[in-house]
Amino acid sequence: MAEADGRIPLTILGGYLGAGKSSWLRHQLHVGGFSGAHVLVNEAAEMPVDHLLLAGAEGLTILADGCACCDGAARFVAAMRGLCDRRVASIVLETSGLSDPARIAAHIAADGVLARRIRVVGTVVVADALHAAAQLATEPLWLCQIEAADRIVLTKADVATPGALARLAATMAVVNPGAEVSGAVLGSAVKLPETHGIAPLAILPPENEAAPIRTLRLDVSAAASWAAISVWLSAVLHTHGDDLVRVKGIVRAPAGRLLLQAVRGTVQPPEILPDTLASDGTAEAVENVIVFIGRGLEDDRIGCSFRTLMA
Amino acid sequence: MCSACGYPPAPGHWTDAGAVTPGDRLRNRLMRMTVVNRILAPYHLSARDDGVIPGIQLSSGFGASVIVPDLEMLWAEAARMAGRPIDPLARDG
Repeated sequence: MAEADGRIPLTILGGYLGAGKSSWLRHQLHVGGFSGAHVLVNEAAEMPVDHLLLAGAEGLTILADGCACCDGAARFVAAMRGLCDRRVASIVLETSGLSDPARIAAHIAADGVLARRIRVVGTVVVADALHAAAQLATEPLWLCQIEAADRIVLTKADVATPGALARLAATMAVVNPGAEVSGAVLGSAVKLPETHGIAPLAILPPENEAAPIRTLRLDVSAAASWAAISVWLSAVLHTHGDDLVRVKGIVRAPAGRLLLQAVRGTVQPPEILPDTLASDGTAEAVENVIVFIGRGLEDDRIGCSFRTLMA
Repeated sequence: MCSACGYPPAPGHWTDAGAVTPGDRLRNRLMRMTVVNRILAPYHLSARDDGVIPGIQLSSGFGASVIVPDLEMLWAEAARMAGRPIDPLARDG
């Protein structure tokens, strides 16, 4: 609902690549949270996949190709102004996994129009309980995201051990003592273990200049079959899972279009997507495309390997 | 549990998705082996799935042989047999 002063409430949903932002938001929309909210989804990669997961939103805008906190900032501000003109009741912004929520809030405050018409009511950051310990050590951005949160949701709480979960919750309390920390499994809240007396993880200064994260879009329609693609992808993820922070794709299989999602070598059970989406005619065209987001993608090793092994 | 090999039926590796009918599942298993063997060839390993025994039979050129339940285990076991990780992105294998 609009605030008393007429400003539109905005909730920023952040979190690292593959932390479970869309899954969490999908569940919140499903159980009636953020009712009447317009969902704005920002994707750094060229192919928007997340909107396929968010069919339950009141209204949905996709900002693909460009992160709202840096190179896509101008387009983000324009889209937000457009939403203000449409007088939506409230807005939920799902950031790309590479955005810093604090910088997005800064863009809104810096824009003369948005500063008067938008009020940031909360920043929810989801953190992947399974990979957080590794991300803490290697990703300075991850730390920025956690520090920017008012509310931290530890997702995938069912796959982490209770000890690791407690330690992570204790670490969050050190990194961002002001934030409320909760646990979730596919969006439904779960109780976190007791953190009293548990030592937090060590927060090391980030390693010197890690290779930049890039995105690569691979057309896999040349492959013989889903069986062949899955074998190749499983081998790539097995060996290079740590460099591939996120893999998303839609591939045609005998049973239908499969939505593939992987985070650091861990693949979610693929979902079968409906062949057509009534609300969005453009979505049916996307097929046999896999997007890789990770390090060491510069010299097209993935493309070469795919062409050699699949041709 | 399979009485021949003792592996409990796993909930399914992600690569098993996409094939719902028994025919598709079997076809998937058999078609995988072409690519598996292409990836394993530089390491002098070979794999076989006869469609009858549950699992994939992996053997090395020196006679070592093992049955693995899914592709995840296959790559781990193949790396152990080869003594180095199986890297499909390596240019010369």
